[in-house]
Amino acid sequence: MRYIVAGYVVILGLLFLYAVQIVWRRRRLTRAVARVVAAGTAHDGAGDAVGTAAGRHA
Amino acid sequence: MSDLESALGRTHGSPVPTAAGTGPTPPPVRSARSRATERVIGVLALVGTAFTVWLGLWVTPPDRTQGDLVRLVYLHPGVAWVALYLAFGLAAVSSLLYLWPRTRSLFWDRLAAASVEVGVVFNVCTLVSGSIWGKPTWGVWWAWDARLTLTAVLLVLFLGYLALRRIPAEPEVRARRSAFVALFAVLDVPLVHFSVNWWNTLHQGATVLNPGLTLKIHGSMAWTLLLGFVSLTLAFVWMLLVRYRIGVLEDWLDANELDAALAERRSEGTGPGPAVPSEPVGVA
Repeated sequence: MRYIVAGYVVILGLLFLYAVQIVWRRRRLTRAVARVVAAGTAHDGAGDAVGTAAGRHA
Repeated sequence: MSDLESALGRTHGSPVPTAAGTGPTPPPVRSARSRATERVIGVLALVGTAFTVWLGLWVTPPDRTQGDLVRLVYLHPGVAWVALYLAFGLAAVSSLLYLWPRTRSLFWDRLAAASVEVGVVFNVCTLVSGSIWGKPTWGVWWAWDARLTLTAVLLVLFLGYLALRRIPAEPEVRARRSAFVALFAVLDVPLVHFSVNWWNTLHQGATVLNPGLTLKIHGSMAWTLLLGFVSLTLAFVWMLLVRYRIGVLEDWLDANELDAALAERRSEGTGPGPAVPSEPVGVA
């Protein structure tokens, strides 16, 4: 019976570990993308504000 | 747009970086429907696998010849089915569709890559569980038997495919060379399938996909085997959906790596702004 249990544990364990790993990878990449998009947007906002102020001074 | 493309959130080619100063375009957002589909498939796969384990270990009777060892049949052929026929088969079809000029799209390349990675995991499960089954049945963990050896060769070939994808290259170049390798590697699948018919091997013949397509298992054992096949197929589909999304995000970050670096430098120079991590972005 221990061979049967070992077989089940190996298959289900490997699939479970892989499932957790890909979910974690996806979450990490989603956060990285969100950070890049947020940084780009924030910079544009700052750039626009500076540009508007410079225009007023001119 | 087909259901498959919709579920996977298909994107055409590489994401296009926007003009300087306007920030990167976000990658395509998955619809609520595709997220719900993914969740339902995941839950069904989990419940189905749990039922298979319960039926396989506690409900089904032992076999007349193999005794309790037959219980491994409810998972081992299922993972082999997913690896050889579904995952590597889908990778081959996707690669072919990428190489075909009329259907050429990086969607097919990403789908092939996702399918191969998931298939490799199932292939490892096949080899390890087969080895565990082989020890009490044949008396050895491994034999240089035709089916075992060809399955191991298949694993090595698709590991080579994944290694090839890690070599830095333009997305189109990487996609083309990967497609050729996938089509070459998949030639081993029919050899694995027919090995038990063509050569005298230790491995038993096919229980379901045999030449006469006659089911060699009956009653509760047959239903449990079928449930195992369905559950593992659902698990494969769920993993494919998640892994495909990873490919989309990685490609987006690769294409916007320069924008990301510039945004980071700008945020450092503009004083109080959103904190941008110093870790390299886009490296999986």
